[in-house]
Amino acid sequence: MAKKILQGIPASVGIAIGKAYILTRDHDCIAPMQSISEELVDAELKRLKDAIDMTIANLKSLKSKIPAEHTEYSSIIDTHIMVLEDAKFYETIARYIKNMKLNAEWAIEKGIGDIERSFRDIEDEFFKTRISEIKFLGRKILNNLIGVDQEIKPILSRVILVAHELTPADTVEIDVSKIMAFVTSQGGKTSHVSIVARTLGIPAVVGIEDIDEIISDDQLVIVDGFTGTIIIEPDENEIVDYIEKQEKFEKYKRELYQERRVPAYTKDKCHIKVMANIEFFEEVTSVLEYNSDGIGLYRTEYSYLYKPHLPTEDELYEEYRDLLTIMSPRPVVIRTLDAGGDKIGKGFEKIEEANPAMGLRAIRFCLRNKDIFKTQIRAILRAAVSGNCFLLLPMISGLEELLEAKKVIECAKEELQREGKQFNYDLPIGIMIEVPSAVCVADALAKEVSFFSIGSNDLIQYSLGIDRTNKYVAHLFQPLHPAIIRGIKHTVDVAKQAGIQVTMCGEMAGDPFCVPILIGMGITTLSLSPNAAPGIKRMVRMLSYKECKELVDNVLKGKSVIENNRIVRQKIYDKIPEELQFYTSFFEKQ
Amino acid sequence: MSEEVIVKDVVINNKLGLHARPAGLIVKEASKFKSEIKLLLDDIEVDAKSILDILTLGATKGKVLKLVAKGEDAKEAIDTLTKLFYNGFGEK
Repeated sequence: MAKKILQGIPASVGIAIGKAYILTRDHDCIAPMQSISEELVDAELKRLKDAIDMTIANLKSLKSKIPAEHTEYSSIIDTHIMVLEDAKFYETIARYIKNMKLNAEWAIEKGIGDIERSFRDIEDEFFKTRISEIKFLGRKILNNLIGVDQEIKPILSRVILVAHELTPADTVEIDVSKIMAFVTSQGGKTSHVSIVARTLGIPAVVGIEDIDEIISDDQLVIVDGFTGTIIIEPDENEIVDYIEKQEKFEKYKRELYQERRVPAYTKDKCHIKVMANIEFFEEVTSVLEYNSDGIGLYRTEYSYLYKPHLPTEDELYEEYRDLLTIMSPRPVVIRTLDAGGDKIGKGFEKIEEANPAMGLRAIRFCLRNKDIFKTQIRAILRAAVSGNCFLLLPMISGLEELLEAKKVIECAKEELQREGKQFNYDLPIGIMIEVPSAVCVADALAKEVSFFSIGSNDLIQYSLGIDRTNKYVAHLFQPLHPAIIRGIKHTVDVAKQAGIQVTMCGEMAGDPFCVPILIGMGITTLSLSPNAAPGIKRMVRMLSYKECKELVDNVLKGKSVIENNRIVRQKIYDKIPEELQFYTSFFEKQ
Repeated sequence: MSEEVIVKDVVINNKLGLHARPAGLIVKEASKFKSEIKLLLDDIEVDAKSILDILTLGATKGKVLKLVAKGEDAKEAIDTLTKLFYNGFGEK
């Protein structure tokens, strides 16, 4: 067969070069579908029951063969067994035999179809992937009913596994240690095969139609898990190129790890502080591991959401104090509660809100529930003596909210003073810039605070009116939209004029296409997920402030998203092509 | 009447929501009790002893579920299940 280059969805990074192994299952027998007479109903129900029992027995014996270290696979089988043992499962199928007088084969098809449909209505992609497993179970039962046995051919050497679809049960039956990469027709980034590949750290490309028919056994294949490209029977040059890319990637990973603690200076010696966004106290270990310059955003919601009662002042105090002590002298920015009553539960009436994102949450919720707010403020004020603490107020949309929040802080200070409790009187207060109105009145806000922290995710969402979890408009969520770039530039300029610090703590801080722009605007503190830090630091070291500034000048002239994306992408691709691909693949993985 | 009904709100706090493993844990624990146990998400009510039922709920992280148990050991059942939710099903 002639050489072929195919394009799929990259689902797990890495490069693999090797021989193909096609996972085929014998075509399922065509199940006879017939109506049955009343007197055969019991016999038919017994056939169904026996086939299900036999399938359960099959799965149990399969499970006993799985090596102990693959616990995730055996737990998948446990789930399958549970589904088969579920009375609802049996009833869904059996009622077609009882009520409609269908034979067991037909009833299975109908029943499985019903269950599939109930999964299809779920919006979450992860749950939808269950459909293929339900189908798989149906097939297994049917095979037992008809009496065909399906064995897969053994895998003898290290191979690239090619399949129409890979179900959890398939991964159990094959020896994964022999797999170099996965290529499938079905699936997306969150399907089973992709998750397995990422867990095993091997490349995967999914979504190439009929791939199991295009490639044949033992053909030489290159799998590029970065771009989603598959090359069937590559020539010598291609093989050499890909071996090189493979080595570069290994080197990249090695260096990234070695340099993880090196500070980030641009080529022209600008120090960019790379801080961490964290959600749980426990994450502090990775913050230290990657030697972050501080915690740029500590989300405090966790203590509220997952406890049976509202946290007390002392509980919060201890949590913040410990974090500050561990991080000291490095800064820790503690953001006050950024959720609404619905999330907190615990006695809050569930209120009907058409747009919760624009509803009673964050600072608005806190100003309405000042007792909860003040408890947290008091805890932060007290903890602030233990380290380098900053207090950050979320979702400020104008001066009134800020002044009202500051009043609560003042009140908390007075109380603490009266009670003779130790606290940090000079605790610096900052605000999130994430509502577009805050950008517009940034000059007025800047006079009242010590720092700004730009939350790009919400800023983009609110500025562009895009809910990015809505798949119909998600593509319009564009960080390089001229309105966003100009808004951030304005915020940074205002802050500079007022002599206050600006941090970027949204996802833009970890986006390789945005980082140069942010640096060029004069932002010197980025806060991002701790494990993304090494990659961003490495990127900063390859850039210079001067170049970044030039890029910003160009982008500020841009009139459209397309234009800006072109300017930025081209510039960065030209500068660090492979670096970008490697980094991006890591970036998306998180 | 000795039949006790206990209702409790819990937040789903593990990353992927009530996927197979947590659903399995719920079924395993719920089945130990005699009480009738239901999970409610918005208007949908499912049987806590049926894994299929729980999976088709599609309950994702951050959602609030209502646990409802009716029967002689309702209180113990709710306590046991609530603990599973608080611990995030032993996941990170």
